Amino acid sequence: MFARYVYIILIASLITGCGGGTEAEEQVPEPIISDSDNGGGSGSDGDGEGSGDDSGGSNNDSGNDSSDEVKAPVIAIKLDSNTFKQGEIVKVNVEVSEQGTQQVSFVWEQLSGPEIALTTTDSLEFTASNNSTALDEKYHFLVTVTNSAGLSTQQEVRFSVLKNMNDAQASRLLHQASLGPTYNEILAVAGKSYEQWLDEQFNLPITYHSPLIESFPDRDEPNQINRIDAWWKASLNAEDQLRQRVAFALSEIFVVSDLNTSLSGEPEGMAAYYDILLQHAFGNYRDLLEQVTLSPVMGVYLSHLGNEKADPERNIRPDENYAREVMQLFTIGLNELNLNGTNKQDENGEIIPTYGQTEIEGFAKVFTGWTFAYSARWSRPSRNYTLPMQAFEDYHSSAEKTLLNGEVIPANTSAEQSLEIALDNLFNHDNVAPFISKQLIQRLITSNPSPGYVERVAMVFNDNGEGIRGDLAATVKAIYLDNEARGLGTPLAYFGKIKEPLLKTVQFWRVFNAKTLNNRYYTWNLPSTYGQGPLQSPSVFNFFRPDYQPGELADTELVAPELQIANDAALVGIINTHYADLVWRVAERHNELNENSLYLYMQEDHDLINMNGLSAVLDKYDLLFFAGNMSQEMRQALIDMDEFFASRDSYQRISNIVYLISISPEFTLQQ
Amino acid sequence: MNRRKFLSYCMKGGVSVAALTQLQLQAFQGSLSYNFDDHKALVCVFLFGGNDSLNMLVPLEGEQRTLYEASRQNLAVTDALQLSPVTEFAGGVGLHPAMGSIKNIFDNKNLAFISGVGSLIVPTSKADYQNESVPLPKHLFSHNDQQATWMHGREKVSLNSGWGARLLERLEQGGSFVNNISLSGTNPWQTSVNLTPFSLHRSGVSKINPINGTGNRASHVKSLMNRVLAQSTHPLASAYGIKMQNAITNTEAMNSAIESSVDLSNYFSDSSLSQQLHTVAKSISVRETLNAKRQIYFVSMGGFDTHDNQLTTHPALLGALSQSLSEFNTAMSSLNANDDVTLFTMSDFGRTLTSNGDGTDHGWAGNQIIMGGAVNGGEIYGSLMTQHLDGPNDTRGGRLIPQVANEQYFASLAQWFGLDNTELVDIFPNLTNFNSHTLPFMRS
Repeated sequence: MFARYVYIILIASLITGCGGGTEAEEQVPEPIISDSDNGGGSGSDGDGEGSGDDSGGSNNDSGNDSSDEVKAPVIAIKLDSNTFKQGEIVKVNVEVSEQGTQQVSFVWEQLSGPEIALTTTDSLEFTASNNSTALDEKYHFLVTVTNSAGLSTQQEVRFSVLKNMNDAQASRLLHQASLGPTYNEILAVAGKSYEQWLDEQFNLPITYHSPLIESFPDRDEPNQINRIDAWWKASLNAEDQLRQRVAFALSEIFVVSDLNTSLSGEPEGMAAYYDILLQHAFGNYRDLLEQVTLSPVMGVYLSHLGNEKADPERNIRPDENYAREVMQLFTIGLNELNLNGTNKQDENGEIIPTYGQTEIEGFAKVFTGWTFAYSARWSRPSRNYTLPMQAFEDYHSSAEKTLLNGEVIPANTSAEQSLEIALDNLFNHDNVAPFISKQLIQRLITSNPSPGYVERVAMVFNDNGEGIRGDLAATVKAIYLDNEARGLGTPLAYFGKIKEPLLKTVQFWRVFNAKTLNNRYYTWNLPSTYGQGPLQSPSVFNFFRPDYQPGELADTELVAPELQIANDAALVGIINTHYADLVWRVAERHNELNENSLYLYMQEDHDLINMNGLSAVLDKYDLLFFAGNMSQEMRQALIDMDEFFASRDSYQRISNIVYLISISPEFTLQQ
Repeated sequence: MNRRKFLSYCMKGGVSVAALTQLQLQAFQGSLSYNFDDHKALVCVFLFGGNDSLNMLVPLEGEQRTLYEASRQNLAVTDALQLSPVTEFAGGVGLHPAMGSIKNIFDNKNLAFISGVGSLIVPTSKADYQNESVPLPKHLFSHNDQQATWMHGREKVSLNSGWGARLLERLEQGGSFVNNISLSGTNPWQTSVNLTPFSLHRSGVSKINPINGTGNRASHVKSLMNRVLAQSTHPLASAYGIKMQNAITNTEAMNSAIESSVDLSNYFSDSSLSQQLHTVAKSISVRETLNAKRQIYFVSMGGFDTHDNQLTTHPALLGALSQSLSEFNTAMSSLNANDDVTLFTMSDFGRTLTSNGDGTDHGWAGNQIIMGGAVNGGEIYGSLMTQHLDGPNDTRGGRLIPQVANEQYFASLAQWFGLDNTELVDIFPNLTNFNSHTLPFMRS
């Protein structure tokens, strides 16, 4: 086809000790090794210059003219491409030149990559696998060509098999890894490999929320609603969707809330807090923990800002709030865990608590002496809600501080040093990897991950392969590429999670380009309509707990955290909200648009149903909302729904179809 | 047939949810059989965050006052309103001055306090605590765990349930959603394997817009919604579908009942708790229409986690709480339902006697309020504890060991609600560790 052959020509001569430094060199006498290293520039990336390469062959060895001396084989490796797609035939061919009629033998050796059956001929051929894992496969082979004189030439060859996504696979990934895909996004991602897309997302510039805050036109200072408006703008429009999704997940672990708290008056501080989550979403967990701990917003929310050392005279002791919650919720949890996230048990089969009152008091002392940055004095705090807190030694406890696992911070350690030691102590606890990995999996992929899945991710959290602990990019990658997440191998009957009500709405607003004429998203009552809003949990325990089991699942071992907020009032609220959005707020159904009202735009699907009929719309929605897995029953229900509206205007047809999708269990389940 | 299959079967056949849970519940009956002709309601007011309830009832003079002031320092309450409970206490006892609006209810003997109450497995002394010689509730001082002990009414077990839900089931009253109503979302108190509270919006009525009205469009949309909601076989999706179907059925039934309720709006002010109690009152006003015999209601108020700024925030909270309680008391009188409705408070825990500068931290024992015509009011039950730092009940830092188990408190309410004495320990298993199972704060 459009093959650009990759020729790697090697002229051999009887040079001894031409140290190439690769591990293969001691295996054969006087081998000559050429590393074809496709990625390194000599391969097919040469934009059609392949034919030029062989000129190097002819003029490379001027000493071969009339000599009778026996030479090692001159070989060239021919490869169609250095990347292959799943299912394609990979063919590696060795061309031997200048050997005349001499017999040569071929020995193939695989240096890395999934194991391939080797041959003893001049070619290696196999079908690129398409179902074992979602990881791109990186192959590395060494071929040794030996002639009858016993002279050998060796050459390495590298290439990759990319796990390119089809449309349905792209849709499925984007439902897990974005805030809700649009049709065009799915089509744009299809054809890429999972790793390619994830790597692209990791490297996109960060869409921070703070710069998106716009005050009311007549005000100097922003209002709470202006930071929620910024959240919508980023969620709807940001390119770095994976980061936005992971940051949202982190906001449900490192919970702060401006719902009915004094923080409702600090929208810039709240946005700055969200920006910390965005900034560190693919950074290191230890840095994230420190930034969260030192955030004045967290300091106010869990009251370690302004927390003083003990004063026995006045019966004052350090505030224990942050000490407790940083352990229970942000790092290690209440019970000792196995690497796979299950509880450890003592010899009596009892769970083992991770900490007691002594440790709480130890950490409470650590979190003393911190207040707003640039405060002139302890008693005159600056009320700067966006910069990390600063320490005042006079107010920091100089006492000994007992940490986890018996570690003790000696007396007279400074506030900053104490903090570093204490956060390291938390960070290095064995619970952190399974505790955080499992919750991230639950927020992103599935409510009931198998212990094996948790363990595989936790191992990456503990060591990203380069000896680094807490690498969140590596952890996130492991979460998305795991076979369980990708539905490879035997699927679990209960795999998946209930979509959060807020995220369901984000997808519909993204798909139908929801906007107001003045580009403002003033969603005033999110918690009372959806049961949740960004950074609006009713408490530090989030909207729902990771171990929540609804009554409907009581005869199983399964949990469904998101159903904790699925009470009757919220569910009716969600029905009404979807109905209002998808049926009443369709712009094309209004003669005149109100400047401040939000509208959804459905012209495209309206045209589609008029030109290509209902089945074209249903095919599109199958991919868009069900990742290609719409059941026959669902499809029939949508057809029947449409029957009533088919005689009406086509906006009503689209509206009612999408509304029925919006409340359906099949769509509400993310798989 | 399990519940899910049964539900899906009923949905297809159009049987109402209320009827089906009634049938389903027969498997959960105790040995006794219950049948009620009269109406009673328990209204739980949950004070989220851990109310500093030791500051609701404070000593007025003498040694107790001295100890109190020494412990509490800048957070000591002054100008308390003197109470005259039946039992006299050394140093007297005063009500927090922000709670004036319930003082006359106490004086009229329709309100009582239970004092020194908290989560306990067995009677526990300071030495027991220090030597760890008795079992202690797990995760003391932790918000959600201690909230859970109040709502579950027992220690954590693998398949847990709330004591409100267990009580309804044991009394064979779980079958109708109108018996289990929350104004504050899902909560463990009202939840069990078979029961989830019906959540009522605090405005009372929730229209379901897509199926509002009587035309062909509404009925077409409704039939398709029901069909789609019953479709999934995946356990999580199916659980969601069941919740959706129940929400629709229950909301429609409740809407039609509440539309016929008495106008009580003059009795209630605008605070969130008042609005919640307003809707509880409206719902109680249609108890006959709903054919409700035993109802439990859950309302809540947040903000009690006063780690800081307590001197400002706590009086405001107690003031709002008292105002709402007083309004509810008047509304119940107007409905002539006072004797049948008992309101009571729960909270995560009491707070530390010591201050952290301008607030308090998570403690243990505290005081709770019981209000209603059936209350033996004007009295403080349990043990009005010495607020004595490092005193006989102080574990450390002013976290007091409860002298009454919250299960004893709950059992007293359950007994009034109609549960037979012999079945109290089935619902509250730790009662067997205590000499008396109930306290006499309810008239039988």
